[in-house]
Amino acid sequence: MGLNKDSQLSFQRSRKDRTKSYEYVLEPSPIPLPLEKPQETRVLQVSCGRAHSLVLTDHEGVFSMGNNSYGQCGREVVEGEIYSESHVINRLQEFDGRVVQVVCGQDHSLFRTEKGEIYSCGWGADGQTGLGHYNVTSVPTKLGGDVAGVNIIQVASYADCCLAVSDEGDIFGWGNSEYLQLACVTETTQVNVPRHLPFKIGKVKEAACGGTGNAVLNEEGNVFVWGYGILGKGPNLLETATPEMIPPTLFGSSDVRVKHLCCGLSQFAALNERGELFVWGKNIRGCLGIGRMEDQYFPWRVTIPGEVVAVACGVDHMVTLVKSWI
Amino acid sequence: MSAPDGCAKGPKHPAAFRHSSTPCCRGTAFRDAPCGRKRISAPAQEVWWDLIPRRIWRSEVPGAGAMALHGGSRREAWLTVPGRGGALGAWLRLPGGLNSLEQRSPRQHVRFLPGFVEGEAGKELTPVATRLPVLADHPLVKGPRFTRLKVGAGHRLDVKSSGVFVLGVGQGCRLLTDMYNAHFTKDYTVRGLFGKATDDFSDTGKLIEKTTFDHITREKLERILAVIQGSNHKALLTYANIDLKTQEAYELAVKGLLRPTEKSPPLITAIRCLEFAPPEFQLEIQCLHETQQYLRKIVHEIGLELKSTAVCTQVRRTRDGFFTLDKALLRTHWDMENIQKAIQDSRLTVQTELEKSLGHLERAAYDEHIEMDQVEEGDASR
Repeated sequence: MGLNKDSQLSFQRSRKDRTKSYEYVLEPSPIPLPLEKPQETRVLQVSCGRAHSLVLTDHEGVFSMGNNSYGQCGREVVEGEIYSESHVINRLQEFDGRVVQVVCGQDHSLFRTEKGEIYSCGWGADGQTGLGHYNVTSVPTKLGGDVAGVNIIQVASYADCCLAVSDEGDIFGWGNSEYLQLACVTETTQVNVPRHLPFKIGKVKEAACGGTGNAVLNEEGNVFVWGYGILGKGPNLLETATPEMIPPTLFGSSDVRVKHLCCGLSQFAALNERGELFVWGKNIRGCLGIGRMEDQYFPWRVTIPGEVVAVACGVDHMVTLVKSWI
Repeated sequence: MSAPDGCAKGPKHPAAFRHSSTPCCRGTAFRDAPCGRKRISAPAQEVWWDLIPRRIWRSEVPGAGAMALHGGSRREAWLTVPGRGGALGAWLRLPGGLNSLEQRSPRQHVRFLPGFVEGEAGKELTPVATRLPVLADHPLVKGPRFTRLKVGAGHRLDVKSSGVFVLGVGQGCRLLTDMYNAHFTKDYTVRGLFGKATDDFSDTGKLIEKTTFDHITREKLERILAVIQGSNHKALLTYANIDLKTQEAYELAVKGLLRPTEKSPPLITAIRCLEFAPPEFQLEIQCLHETQQYLRKIVHEIGLELKSTAVCTQVRRTRDGFFTLDKALLRTHWDMENIQKAIQDSRLTVQTELEKSLGHLERAAYDEHIEMDQVEEGDASR
């Protein structure tokens, strides 16, 4: 549900007029995927970008829908194509191996296969496709640079900066670096080839990219942040090029570790082992859920009547999946 | 040495003093009047026991003497409980126990006493310097060192509750005020029962209402608990008097010191359900500035929110600041050695925790002080 002006939620037939689709979907509505075996195929993961979305299934690959003006849906850019009320759902099959994770940036898409390789397509003016050029790519192409030959276990992106985590705990980054996200390796503001980021923060388990700031979680459960904006270490830390650790005491008692990290455009969310949710960042229209409308400069616990299992952040809203304590 | 007037029983009998007519002995029977001082103004007497302070007779003699002398005043009523040989009596016997430990040896001074010394004409009587213990330091003169010990109580625990109860002994009573000002949180396990409502919110009160509770599920209970926690959270910030957008707030939060700094109504910082087996349930509550009756009222209100009723069956404090159950002394362990050991063990923790919590308050006060000075200087210079 949500915005459907570019058919990123596919054609949602309107009840008043069968030829028209809803521009705003206000309640959870099913998306009709063109599956060959609809009874057996299951959807594993979904990801949403600014105006496009990707759906990952277990047997039938990746489906993409929505805006394709920069090739982010993985098909040829058609001049003058009208994306609203479009029925087009594209199935992507040009991958060497099975895709296990899909990530949508603002106007680009990243795919990770089980071999540990990364493919990308979409807008590349900030180098976020990581293919060595700043042009638009409409076919998913494998990434080279420092990630060639490395087994990548997680990819993250939100706006125009991308991070990848290898199985040995190394971090690779490419894309926009206007906010010092990649300033440790280069002074240019756009990086179009994946570069290894030599941070000494232990073995990295998970990475998350926000609009202007990035965060990683290492094996011991510590959260490191860098970039620009409200990073979570008080109002004095507004930008940094090297990762700074957020004191674990802010995430509840010191014996419970953070197990999952998520970024929105200017918010961060962390989940600890006890199922508690901690948020910080800009509180756009109260998206942090802390009961106040002011920005939160350090991690603050959200009172939720249950154990939080998963969390996802949008531009100005946040969704959590909660399990009851029983 | 003759007995004073009116008493034939002998010089050491307490009755002797009661009969004497010196001013300090009249009407101040059980007070700690240091008679030794007042005696200076009394007529000089050669009777040696008149120089003995009256206090000596009120010393903590284990057994009948203590109880007879301490009875009467309301403040010490609890000390007159007949179990003086048992658990409570241990607190009375503390001074006695302390007295039985090794005491300081008496001071020595040099006196010139007449003595025989080998001189030119045989044995001569000359002053000979001898080192003698000072009579004023003799235990029979000054009396036992400890007659009473001040025992102060920490946060109140009412009669129907149980758990950790912090006491301060002697000089430790000062630390009790520090602990109070540090506004530590306390942990309680509260057991409740659905289906009944009584007038004093506990199961021993007068029954007012009985309701059904089959519709109550653990999920609903948890939702209510989350609401309680959330509403108390906001109150926590208001009374902490701090703007969350400042660096100071961040630093306090890192250290875990974001707490009310002044008197506030009872606040619950964390509440969760430990067990749920209708009609019984058990909650763990972490709170500040509360009373046990307030916790019982919370249980009652939870019952009302769930469209049923509830009473509280047990309130047990499991932690008071940094004193936890595992360090607490059981009733059977209320004796001299255990109390001493407990004080020694916790001394370091108490010091560090109080410093941590009160340190930042003092620093804040110091900064304010500096600012005020600067303002005054500014005014003066005009």
